[in-house]
Amino acid sequence: MIETTRTEALFDAFTTLADTLVAGYDVLELLQSLVEYCHDLLDVDSAGILLANPDGDLEVVASTSEANALVEIMQLDADAGPCLESFRARAVVSVPDIGVDSERWPDFTSTARTRGIHSVYAIPLRLRRSTIGTLDLMRNERGEIDPFDVRAAQALADVATIGILQERTIRDASTIRDQLQQALSTRIIIEQATGVVAETEKLSMDEAFACIRGHARARQTPLSMVARQLVSGEIRL
Amino acid sequence: MTADPFQTASDVLSEAGGRIDELARPFVRFLPVSGASISTFGSLLGAETISATDARAGRVDELQLDLGEGPCWDALITRAPVLEPDFASSETWPAFSDGIREENIAAIFAFPLMFGPLEIGAVDLYSSTPMQLTDLQQKQSMALSAIVSRILLRHAVSGGEPGETTTFSRRLIHQATGMVLAQLGTKADDAYLIIQARAFADNRPMRDVAEDIIERRIRFGTLRETGEETP
Repeated sequence: MIETTRTEALFDAFTTLADTLVAGYDVLELLQSLVEYCHDLLDVDSAGILLANPDGDLEVVASTSEANALVEIMQLDADAGPCLESFRARAVVSVPDIGVDSERWPDFTSTARTRGIHSVYAIPLRLRRSTIGTLDLMRNERGEIDPFDVRAAQALADVATIGILQERTIRDASTIRDQLQQALSTRIIIEQATGVVAETEKLSMDEAFACIRGHARARQTPLSMVARQLVSGEIRL
Repeated sequence: MTADPFQTASDVLSEAGGRIDELARPFVRFLPVSGASISTFGSLLGAETISATDARAGRVDELQLDLGEGPCWDALITRAPVLEPDFASSETWPAFSDGIREENIAAIFAFPLMFGPLEIGAVDLYSSTPMQLTDLQQKQSMALSAIVSRILLRHAVSGGEPGETTTFSRRLIHQATGMVLAQLGTKADDAYLIIQARAFADNRPMRDVAEDIIERRIRFGTLRETGEETP
């Protein structure tokens, strides 16, 4: 029964995403929605998307919590952890218990464990020969992830990849590299906007980001545009 | 609209980019002075002549730096322009006047270079004939000085920043930049530069300063006295 509801919810998510792709969209908005779907529909406690910058290093561009503590863990993962491994090997990396081989990625493992994270699944974002980043799923419990969740996550990851690569064809002239660069530099504006709102509204970074996201949704304005307006002082929340 | 000499000078400065040795020239292009020089000194940066339009301008600068006295020092200490339209009969700086006598300087003007609370240095302008600067020319000189301050500060701090800028620390720095720009009502570039300069002045990594800002241990007050008024 529960399984059916979940499948339906997932189906709805795909339909919504497909609509978004057709309508023209903001890449970061799409990626943010994806990690939220992963969190809501799959048995994971936190999720993030990391994209490779022009130097080939992975950067967190979307995560289920903007709390810097979580982002730092994902970034450690990107520097030396399952995410990096998945990106390099172009394959799913499943770590049901990160404590088993804690010397493999010492910085990542110790930081993740202090935050109560015990298992990690990294899924590459790839389309044909291109691998552009990874989807990072984390759970607070030990153990293998449900095979259904793996398939669903892979499908969501594919949507993210197609979303990014498709926007490239819309813009035509730009290369994948430009496209990724664009997503990463938009991320900078979003960080700045989060800082602005944290300061003016006396909020934590996580709350400030949620506030910006809510504002963008309520007005059906792209996240990146709201961020830009906040940074330039054109709007205040 | 005919080309406004001030606007031209301002554009030239803004585009000067890496050529800091050319920063003095735009001042003589738009003001009827004989020469200009720019130097860094004060609490933040080492004493050094950065740019001079001619040998005499260089000498004006160098002598003041050597003596630790002269209009450029007073300008930076008072954070205000020092205007000496009749330098020949001035007795304000005996050692400097004595040293520069042979150079036959009739008027001298110094404008402070600063960025928020930070001391950068000064611009010296001289004329071989007695002259005054109008109020507008003073304001315009202050505006150009503000541009020069940014360029010099950026130049000074960009060399530093020892390693340790990971992707994660950059994220913190961008968030802190947002907080500082909201605190000061500036642009993102300036807010970033302020954090960078603070890190440079305290000899700490930018990430640490950014964390202090995010945790609300460091707050920046208003950014005053940057000579930012529009002429």
